[in-house]
Amino acid sequence: MDLNYYPGCSLHGTAHDYHVGILTVFRGLGVNLVELDDWNCCGASSAHVMHPEASRELPARNLLIASRSERPLLTPCAACFHRLRLCQSLFKKKPEDHRASVITKVEVIHINEMLMKEEVRKKIQEKIKVRLAGLKTVPYYGCLTVRPPQAMNNPHPEDPREMDSILNLLGADVVNWSYKTDCCGGNLAMTRPDIVRKLSGDLFEAAREAGGEVIVTDCPMCQANLDTRQKEIERERKTSFQMPVVYITELLAVAMGLPETRSWWRKHIVDPVPLLRSKGWAA
Amino acid sequence: MNENVEHKQKIGAVLVAGAGIGGMQAALDLANAGFGVYLVEEKSAIGGRMAQLDKTFPTNDCSMCTISPRLVDVDKHPNVQILTNSEIVGIDGEAGHFRARILKHPRYVDMEKCNACGDCFEVCPVEVPNEFDEGLRPRKAIHKLYPQAIPNKAVIEKAGVSPCKAACPAHIHVQGYLALSRKGKYKEALNLIRKDCALPSVCGRVCVRFCEEKCTRAQVDQAIAINDVKWFLSEQVVDSEPLEIGPAKNRKIAVVGAGPAGLSCGYFLALQGYDVTIFEKDAEPGGVLRYGIPEYRLPKAILKRDIDYIRRCGVEIRCSTALGKDWTLQGLREQGHEAIFLGVGCSDGAKLGILSEDTPGVIQGVDFLRETAQGEIIELGKTVLVIGGGNVAVDVARTAVRLGVEAVHMVCLEDRDEMPAHVEEIREAETEGVIVHNCWGPFEFVPGESGVGVKGACFNKCVCVFDDDGRFNPSFDDQCSMGMEADTVILAIGQRVDPELAGPLGTIERIRGNSISVDPITYATSEVGIFAAGDVATGPRTVIQALAAGKEAAESIRRFLEGEDLREGRETQRQVADPDVEGVVPALRRVKKEVPAEQRKRNFQETVVGFDEDAVKAETERCLNCGVCSECLECVRVCQPKAICHDELPEEITLDVGSVILIPGFDTFQAKIKSEYGYGRIANVLTSMEFERLLSASGPTEGEVLRPSDGGHPEKIAWIQCVGSRDVTCNRDYCSSVCCMYATKEAIIAREHDSRVQPTIFYNDIRAFGKGFEFYYENASTNVGVRYLRGIVSTIKEEQRTKNLLVSFRGEDGTMTSESFDMVVLSVGLEPSQSARKLADRCGIDLNRFGFAETKEFTPNQTGRAGIFVAGVFEAPMDIPESLMGAASAAALSGELLSEARNTLVRGNAFAEERDVSGEDPRIGVFVCHCGSNIARIVNVREVAEYAMTLPNVVHGEHNLFTCSTDTTVAIADKIREKGINRLVVASCSPRTHEPLFRDVCREAGINKYLFEMANIRDQCSWVHQKEPEPATEKAKDLIRMAVSRAARLEQIREHSFPVVPRGLVIGGGIGGMTAVLSLADQGFEAVLIEREARLGGAALNLRRSLTGLDVSAFVEGLRNRVISHPRIKVLMDSEIKDHSGHVGRFSVKVRNRHSGEESGLEVGAVIVATGGQEYEPTEYLRGRSDKVWTQTELERYLYDEPGRMELVKNVVMIQCVGSREPENLYCSRVCCGTAIKNALALKERDASINVYVLFRDMRTYGFKELHYRKAREAGVIFLRYDRELKPVVEEVGVGLRVTVFDQILRGEVALPADRVVLSAAIRPHSETEALGAIMKIPRNDVGFFMEAHMKLRPLDFASEGIYLCGLAHGPKYIPETLAQARGAAARAATVLSKDVLQVSGEVSVVDPELCASCLTCVRVCPYNVPEIDPATNRAYIEPASCQGCGICASVCPRKAIKLQHHTDDQLLAKLEAL
Repeated sequence: MDLNYYPGCSLHGTAHDYHVGILTVFRGLGVNLVELDDWNCCGASSAHVMHPEASRELPARNLLIASRSERPLLTPCAACFHRLRLCQSLFKKKPEDHRASVITKVEVIHINEMLMKEEVRKKIQEKIKVRLAGLKTVPYYGCLTVRPPQAMNNPHPEDPREMDSILNLLGADVVNWSYKTDCCGGNLAMTRPDIVRKLSGDLFEAAREAGGEVIVTDCPMCQANLDTRQKEIERERKTSFQMPVVYITELLAVAMGLPETRSWWRKHIVDPVPLLRSKGWAA
Repeated sequence: MNENVEHKQKIGAVLVAGAGIGGMQAALDLANAGFGVYLVEEKSAIGGRMAQLDKTFPTNDCSMCTISPRLVDVDKHPNVQILTNSEIVGIDGEAGHFRARILKHPRYVDMEKCNACGDCFEVCPVEVPNEFDEGLRPRKAIHKLYPQAIPNKAVIEKAGVSPCKAACPAHIHVQGYLALSRKGKYKEALNLIRKDCALPSVCGRVCVRFCEEKCTRAQVDQAIAINDVKWFLSEQVVDSEPLEIGPAKNRKIAVVGAGPAGLSCGYFLALQGYDVTIFEKDAEPGGVLRYGIPEYRLPKAILKRDIDYIRRCGVEIRCSTALGKDWTLQGLREQGHEAIFLGVGCSDGAKLGILSEDTPGVIQGVDFLRETAQGEIIELGKTVLVIGGGNVAVDVARTAVRLGVEAVHMVCLEDRDEMPAHVEEIREAETEGVIVHNCWGPFEFVPGESGVGVKGACFNKCVCVFDDDGRFNPSFDDQCSMGMEADTVILAIGQRVDPELAGPLGTIERIRGNSISVDPITYATSEVGIFAAGDVATGPRTVIQALAAGKEAAESIRRFLEGEDLREGRETQRQVADPDVEGVVPALRRVKKEVPAEQRKRNFQETVVGFDEDAVKAETERCLNCGVCSECLECVRVCQPKAICHDELPEEITLDVGSVILIPGFDTFQAKIKSEYGYGRIANVLTSMEFERLLSASGPTEGEVLRPSDGGHPEKIAWIQCVGSRDVTCNRDYCSSVCCMYATKEAIIAREHDSRVQPTIFYNDIRAFGKGFEFYYENASTNVGVRYLRGIVSTIKEEQRTKNLLVSFRGEDGTMTSESFDMVVLSVGLEPSQSARKLADRCGIDLNRFGFAETKEFTPNQTGRAGIFVAGVFEAPMDIPESLMGAASAAALSGELLSEARNTLVRGNAFAEERDVSGEDPRIGVFVCHCGSNIARIVNVREVAEYAMTLPNVVHGEHNLFTCSTDTTVAIADKIREKGINRLVVASCSPRTHEPLFRDVCREAGINKYLFEMANIRDQCSWVHQKEPEPATEKAKDLIRMAVSRAARLEQIREHSFPVVPRGLVIGGGIGGMTAVLSLADQGFEAVLIEREARLGGAALNLRRSLTGLDVSAFVEGLRNRVISHPRIKVLMDSEIKDHSGHVGRFSVKVRNRHSGEESGLEVGAVIVATGGQEYEPTEYLRGRSDKVWTQTELERYLYDEPGRMELVKNVVMIQCVGSREPENLYCSRVCCGTAIKNALALKERDASINVYVLFRDMRTYGFKELHYRKAREAGVIFLRYDRELKPVVEEVGVGLRVTVFDQILRGEVALPADRVVLSAAIRPHSETEALGAIMKIPRNDVGFFMEAHMKLRPLDFASEGIYLCGLAHGPKYIPETLAQARGAAARAATVLSKDVLQVSGEVSVVDPELCASCLTCVRVCPYNVPEIDPATNRAYIEPASCQGCGICASVCPRKAIKLQHHTDDQLLAKLEAL
């Protein structure tokens, strides 16, 4: 199976580990990722507030490039995914634009949607070497991939379940909590760290209360935010969470027994390796 | 009926669809007015939603207690026919003569036979969520909807055939045996398998599990290990008794071949009672099972176990006797075998047809397996090559491993995924060391060097096994080949029928080489009387397919012998169940333990270890009960009256009716849609309906409010209002009308149940607009301690440790707050029931955009299709009393349409002449009921009946399985006549349900119905003393002794009757009174209308437009013209009631003309009070001091009649609740919010630049009025809320006015300039209400409106029979509501007027004038105002026609001058003395 792949800036930068993990896991699942030719910024960080036209045109260009092939466009970054889907929904309301039909036709697919496809799930089931039994995972989706529901099309916008299902498939325990889509403060990462510490701190408290050992996310911004701010928050709240924040693909790689995982763990600030080793898994 | 249609004579029957409280009202009103009624209900019982509720607002009456007498009334009514589990499919024809097509879904229980004893509920192994308890506890697949359900009969729920059963070729009741196994009923489970499968032990080992492939569970995690459960069962019950065998038929059948097909066919024929002989060529029976499948997969002992069982069932098996050698088919016939079954299998290995295939070292797999099975030693050498990729090839390979071969290679054409062998088998083979080579096809064998044996084989690469059409047609790459060496090559590429059978089979038609050609359904061959199935007909298939085919062939042979059609009914397929798997928690499948490969490959022992009990438990628990009923047939086994019929089919019937009333009720909003509230995933978030069940004494927690998460007692409970109401985001922008009040009720009751509960209600507006609601709400907030918070809840988060709920909400001032609660209840809105859309479509009526039935304001309850009426929540969200008014209104509309056909289709019971027993000594017959096993299991009924015989006056005693069954009641009547019994005592269940039945038995037997007494030895004895049979038996004796003692003192009571005056009276000529009188007249009765004023029209004369813009004046004018010109209506203008006496059916009224003073008398049978109301004249807000302060009616009048007054008006401020919702007038006037919006919109329409402000306390635009509220906001009307304690202030400023009000959002005072201030003044009862109430002795409430008999269930009646009410006299309401209530009152009156005579119950109080001291005690205490002092005798007199038989007067009479007949002191004392 071939997919177009739109990494966006973060997967080539701060979330390089996510990028490598995705490539590794999908290779293991027999899915070939073809990086989008000459892709550009999705317009996420500032365009949508500063320049509405740019915020439409930037993702539109990416979609036009993607439309050159029939392949679905895998978009792992939550912000990119959000912009691309929003762009499509804008064009749906502008059928008079000659590009509309082409742009709306592209199948923009989020990593979770991809992993939920029946054939991919089957493949995962076949490839599992290590069941992640006993690992108490906290699925955290963040806000971008589910909202607004009309554009994002998640069947359960208030309670997304894709990662839960995949984690179940891997044999992990999925803890119940009510903060799956609460904001981590990502947008204010640099400008208002105080708000970030409050929002992310609440998430850690809730994850700990729920009995979680590791937060599992699919969003590079959430991962960065929760991982980098954790120490500050611990200091501020005079507590210790020591809660690794990993990507869903990273746990997939562990379950599939892919040795490449070792090459990127050190990118995490809260090191997940001790936790995984304590369960007896190579990491 | 057809004749009726042709002659256009209307049909005097009505179809009422929906048997909730509204449907029952319509049905009873029509049935009591002389129409036949078909009451069609989709569920298995009547009662609808009200039966589910705990209490009802605003009286806090128990819902079930108030509804259940009505259930019984409907059940017992001779003119009401209840059709449950039924739906309307279509309605043809037109008003007056419809033909309705009704689909009756099967109940699977014969209603005639079922006695609801409940034995079946106990044995049913399938538990599913109980929908009546909103899924909070389970019920069985066979069940009653709720304990008081009517009809009081069991029902089986089936969702279709479970996929596992459908997938199994033999249709084994898979779900059934899983369910039985779950309950540890292993013997029953195995017997269930045996009903469809001749070889359960064998199947448990070797079945290929078609069932598991279709298992729904696989959609969640993995299929259930079904076959492993079967394996376990076959080990548990080794020597079970044979199934019940049919009576011996003495007809001989020959079965050829003792393989799976032959054994199966023989087995099923033997079960029917036929003489079956199986002829087998081999030395032992089993065929391929014995000689093909290796021992390590199917031990011979297991096979023998199953075959022995078949022998025990009567099948004779003769071995070592072969067709063609020892006998012929013709010979079998000559020996008297009337039918022959051929199950000779495929025992011959197929050949490749390639070079050197005949080399001695190349052998056939089937031969190899057979010889091994027979214990022969075969020399294989060190390396074996197995050709083939199927299960036989795997068997061969693994057998070779066990025989010590060093290297076993399997070579096959298919790639790994295409291999026909079972994946598990291949995997096991590989772990034992077999090496599989895929995609190779042999083209040549290489003979051994010295011509001895074989050396190896040569292969070509196979590139494709199947062609484009999917047929087996391999293609090879000749360029790519390989050779493999081997000492032995074993071919396992397929089998065929033994060619040697060609001769003996004679002329029987053959296909595909030499298979026998058979009919795919009947398995008949080309020769009459000869059937064939299994591999011989199909080529090699699986064991289960052969078993299934053998079973089907057996059925054909039976039909053949009995002369039945071979094919009939065998091709129809039942629908396969497809359950929803959402929310199913994953639980992984158990696997059997494998013997380590190293250990198992050395011998022929079984390679796996079967399940233990724990594993079976775990696996069976995973079953999702797809078909709901598992068809385990346990209910059939225990049902003593033989009422269960699993094969029942749906049936379509047609009903001829004159009109149709649709009243299908509602569903509650699916709370999951508003997923921010977490319903369905957060344990302690419930819906209000679930909370009702928690509160209910008959609910899952018996009335204790417990948290689902931990069973703890919640203290802080929050209600969230408007979940699925007033919400555009989920397309439900209407108000559901009832939630504010039911939430208030639930909060009050929760606190009553547990004083620690602290209720909080989050709301938008409190809509307490109904009668008594404002007081109820006020009381809840000030006295009960319910906290009301105006605010919108945005999210609910679950705290994981405590499972408490963090509720975040936005308060009125805009601040966000969070608060923790122990439980949250979502006040879910009402929407039309799921089936309503379908129903509307089938009936050809229009729906609005929400799916409610479309009706117009001035024609409520009427659809676009004449003769089809609607009521209840199907029309709009409404509460119970309004549903009842609408239902009665629909009944009146039907009565108007069908008046000419009244009393044409009613049934009455004709009884024998009553024997006068007054001079006889008591001769008592006692009948003791087993109630199936309900009573008999605990109470020794025989002993009790014998004991009864010893009691004084008892001349007969007996005990019966079901006293209430039709045959027993007939026998009782016979016994009464035969033995001259003159008092009947039945010891069984409750008189509530069964007294009417046994009274009818008395009447049938020719004795007075009051000569019956009942002892409740079930509800009050066997049910409550289940663990103490002996004391229970003694108690039953006590109860019977008491009953007998009273029975001896029972007296016959003659019920007297009197003629009804066939004329109705309506007091008040407003739109309510006019509608009521017109309805009476249109229903065919004479009617008199009395109006005080000189003009008909009442309060509506002040109105110009309705909320939707209809012309009220024109409507009133139309009504007036019809009333005046109606031939059956007499109108008395300027008149009032001066005197009123008499009773239902015969009232005397004195009417006085207010001008002339002339008085006249009037005799009527029923009275409708419609005296109306009037607008309050305010004194507040400068009213009366400034001509710029108007009331809403003034504004409305000026808008339409005097538009000149509106000029220069630019700013209008409306003030709501003027004179309403004040401590001294604690009620809501209901219509003012709608009126204000109506007039505000009219102002905006006149001139959009006019500023309109509405100062309100709560906007009470319930139902679809909410849409107008929204429209007003969109039109720019500004709504500002004020508190009762902080009222707006109106001042004159210059030439205008200024209104100052505290703005809740700005948190400050706002001054509004006003050219006009418009007051929404309250509605008060008419000034003459008090005087009329006194004359007629009808009560009023504390604010002066007339009081109906019961606020919930009797909104149209006064407590005094024969007097009804409607309109503003009852309370404030909108025009459509008045119209519905007025028609409803007419329907109620028709139940009296339609009768020639009224029967008076014998259970009434009678005064002994000799003893009466005229102390007036009875006059004062009677709640119905019946006793009076007769001026002629100066003694108290109780009119029997008015007496309700409550007995209060009898109990308080100081001189004991009053006795309540049939409940006399001596009768009751006799009971006590006997104790």
